[in-house]
Amino acid sequence: MYDLPVISFDKKYLYGLIGEGIDDDKFSEQVSKLGFGVEEISKESITVELTANRLDLLDAVGLARSLRNFMHKSKRFVYEIADKDPGLEIKVDRSVRQVRPFIAGIVARRVKLDEQALVNLINFSEKFCETYGRDRRKIAIGMHNLDAVKPGLTYRCSKEGRFVALGERDESSYSSIIETLDKGRQYSGLVKGRKGNVYPELIDGEGAIALIPVINSERTRVTAETKNMFVDITGTSAYAANKVSELLASTFIDMGADVKRVRVDYGKKQVDTPILDTRYITIPVVRAEREIGVRIGYNNVISLANKMGYEAALVDRKVRFRVPEYRLDVIGEQDVIEDLAIAYGYDYINPKPIYYAENGELEEETKFNRTVAEIMTGLGFSEFANSYLTNDDYNFDRPRIKRDGSAVVIKNPKTEAISIMRTWILPSILRDLSMSANDRTPQNVFELDLAFKVDRRAAKESYHLAAASLDPKANFNNIKATVEGLLYALGVKYDITEQSHGSFIEGRCADIRINGKNAGVFGEIHPEVLKNFGLEEAAVAFEMDVAALMPKS
Amino acid sequence: MHRYELLLLKALVKKPSMSLEELESASGLGRAEAMWALENLKARGLVEVTYSQRDRLTLSGEGREYAEKGLPEERLLRRLAEEEVRAAALNSESEKIGLQWAKRLGLVTIEGGMVRITESGVKAASAGVADGRTLRSISAGSYKPGAGDDVANLVKRGLVESKTQRHIDGIIITDAGRAEDTSGNDEIDAVDRNTITNGTWKERGFKRYDVSVDIERQAPAMRHPVKRLIEKMRDTYISMGFKEISGPAVESSFWVFDALFVPQDHPARDAQDTFYISNLENELFGGLSYVKTVRKAHQKGWNATWSEEVAGQRLLRTHTTSVSARHMYRIIDDIKKNPNKYELPVKLFSIGRVFRNEAVDYRHLADFYQHDGIIIGKDLTLSNLFDTLRRIYRSIGIDIKFKPSYFPFVEPGVEFMSYSDKTKEWIEMGGAGMIREEITGVKRNRLTVLAWGPGMERILLIRDPSISGISELYNNGLGWLRDRRGV
Repeated sequence: MYDLPVISFDKKYLYGLIGEGIDDDKFSEQVSKLGFGVEEISKESITVELTANRLDLLDAVGLARSLRNFMHKSKRFVYEIADKDPGLEIKVDRSVRQVRPFIAGIVARRVKLDEQALVNLINFSEKFCETYGRDRRKIAIGMHNLDAVKPGLTYRCSKEGRFVALGERDESSYSSIIETLDKGRQYSGLVKGRKGNVYPELIDGEGAIALIPVINSERTRVTAETKNMFVDITGTSAYAANKVSELLASTFIDMGADVKRVRVDYGKKQVDTPILDTRYITIPVVRAEREIGVRIGYNNVISLANKMGYEAALVDRKVRFRVPEYRLDVIGEQDVIEDLAIAYGYDYINPKPIYYAENGELEEETKFNRTVAEIMTGLGFSEFANSYLTNDDYNFDRPRIKRDGSAVVIKNPKTEAISIMRTWILPSILRDLSMSANDRTPQNVFELDLAFKVDRRAAKESYHLAAASLDPKANFNNIKATVEGLLYALGVKYDITEQSHGSFIEGRCADIRINGKNAGVFGEIHPEVLKNFGLEEAAVAFEMDVAALMPKS
Repeated sequence: MHRYELLLLKALVKKPSMSLEELESASGLGRAEAMWALENLKARGLVEVTYSQRDRLTLSGEGREYAEKGLPEERLLRRLAEEEVRAAALNSESEKIGLQWAKRLGLVTIEGGMVRITESGVKAASAGVADGRTLRSISAGSYKPGAGDDVANLVKRGLVESKTQRHIDGIIITDAGRAEDTSGNDEIDAVDRNTITNGTWKERGFKRYDVSVDIERQAPAMRHPVKRLIEKMRDTYISMGFKEISGPAVESSFWVFDALFVPQDHPARDAQDTFYISNLENELFGGLSYVKTVRKAHQKGWNATWSEEVAGQRLLRTHTTSVSARHMYRIIDDIKKNPNKYELPVKLFSIGRVFRNEAVDYRHLADFYQHDGIIIGKDLTLSNLFDTLRRIYRSIGIDIKFKPSYFPFVEPGVEFMSYSDKTKEWIEMGGAGMIREEITGVKRNRLTVLAWGPGMERILLIRDPSISGISELYNNGLGWLRDRRGV
């Protein structure tokens, strides 16, 4: 359910960033201690499986930073921009409010780029926008050669526009980019306005430099030779856009660039991004110890905090942790405590038992189901277990009963095999028996599990017991004997009355009535039903509502 | 001579050469009895039995699927009849297999990246390919052994399993058999009332059985392996003082996602991954106070708006942690009103099915079992969580180790793993952690909640290396079930 982000890095580049003393074994060991998986290490590349909270590690620079801290190879815990003055200004037009209201930016001067560093930046931003950015809907990142950007940047929405898109030779209109380019088609859903397409764009003194969040201009393309960069971050949340600019600033600072803020002018309000507000979280050491269940001690806490990239200091028997700028996931104390536990090492946390006085207890329904299953195996029936999901064909048509609208309907199945939740179990069993055609008869099987019905627009879930005997010698009286044997053993008072039911042969089918209410049906399976399920031997069967059999307490 | 032997011999005196089936009906004996008696007669040279080796063919899971839907190459041909297909667009495993076979059989060629159907391909599109016809005839039970090559290919493709069995072709009475006195001798066959009360056995003695004769073993009625494991797991939980709880499989987004701090724009909620329901009313929360806690947690934690309407959507739960969430909320609410209502820690567990929107075939299933536990108490620790999980898994014979992990509703988060002797690697068993206080609505120094929700089926895979995969557990072949062992 929580698909984990997987990313590959150039091994030489990554190891270069981590520095001396790293090799494949050491790398795997450290990464798994941090809680991530190494999928593959080859000669050239490394593939790592991350968790969804640490998307800062999709970046080789970020991963190297965390590993350097974890191995006590680094003392950099603070990412600040000393220069308060912005290096660039973006005016924001009101028109962006309808689709993509927020923008943040950073300027990075004297970036030491080479092929590998460039590939890493591009891969990182792609993967980051796919995951955290929810496929660019929430956040999109665009990188530009600052020296090609002319003064007078404005972020606005247009009905149409033209520019030479990245990787193209000729100018084309936004609408044709959306229709013809791969990237255009991929993100066409993100430029839909209430009335036709609206195109968020970033323009400078000379024209458009980005059709957001689709593609940048060829003019501002970043290459390995680019010296100075401008990065735009746009999205649906001002908070997220700023946090991402802080994360990117940390990367550029680690790459040795001179990072400057970008002033975003919303008209009434101006924001200089990245904001880089320092956040502290203060925790008594005993609290961390009490939650993890180990003795850590004051001195050790600081060192564990450093391992995870926090600057930490003692303040009146408490520890003040400075949240690293690149961490998007640290919300409160619990997050810091988890990091301390990781730094301490899950392998070193000794399991400690919980003492308790109360007895365990099963639910009444479970106890009763156990008894029923025990009796069924005693009667010589083996147990099957089937999916709760089925389709109308198997649930209604093949057993010759009416599609009566009683089934819970699945809105978005991927195959025809699934369209509803089963309303009864017998079809599942008959289908299974067709798979056992080569096995010895008699084949006596049962299933005791849930069936689902719609009752006044709500789902009603109830335990059913279904059983079938595929047996050329079996007849109505045999299954009646089984039914009565079970009901007798359960101490149930019942009546049996003749019934007609599409799945059974007329005149060889009966209802089980308990306290005047219908509680089940049994009989000889109709030959057409047998044929519909691919069975070539006679079968008898029953299905009952288990709740009706339970003693009323 | 045993009564069964007598019956066979008498029948054979009347008709000296018979098939096994004929002999069974002539003697009125069942297969097991007839086989047993036949072995005895043969050993004494009274009958001659002729044998042949026959292949018994059974379909694999993949084979069954193909028998129903057609082989991948046949599906490709049918598709080509309807649309143009680019070779590069054939990405899935089965599409690739289809293309490979179709190429090998000369049914298609690739020209300029497009898959082109050949003349023989057009024929095969309607008539099916040889492998497919053979497969379907095996599936229908109408297969007659012919050239033999066709089956060999299906075996090689892993679609059909062939087991050689000894088959009895015919039984002929020998001269010695004819000469045998079939009027019956005096040795006691079945012990009856007379044998016991009159002591007739003292003079007559008993007919001897050949203890080495192969007979067909009896197949006990078996519980399903997954259900058996569930019962075992329940016993473990109650032995550790846990009380069982349950909750709906058809749930609302609120209890599956929102109450577990999964942001409303999280991809796990997509229709790609989760089954939604079209004919039920949304859950209405009325004045449920917990909705306020959850709304606040989302607004603050995710810096995002939170919609009650989205939370009310009906879906199939993707984990049983929704059950734990429902009960946790209720119990914490009770404790807030009356701190002495429960003796802490409160320990609860549930076992139930969870659903993932998968394209179902013989390898992919859409529902599985999960067991879910929570402990609500004071000053519970990560080390307590480790101990509890270790005890639960040790009781079913599995050693586990822990590593950090991430799930939105817990912090710290834990994943635990077990070493598979079969694949020689650590297998992920499940997730666990301490529930975030945004979700419990109570500070950790007042109450801590430990939680876990691992899958059930993979426990069986680790314990029984002969099981090929999870789907094997739900094929529900009776022969397969009869071959299980009770441990």
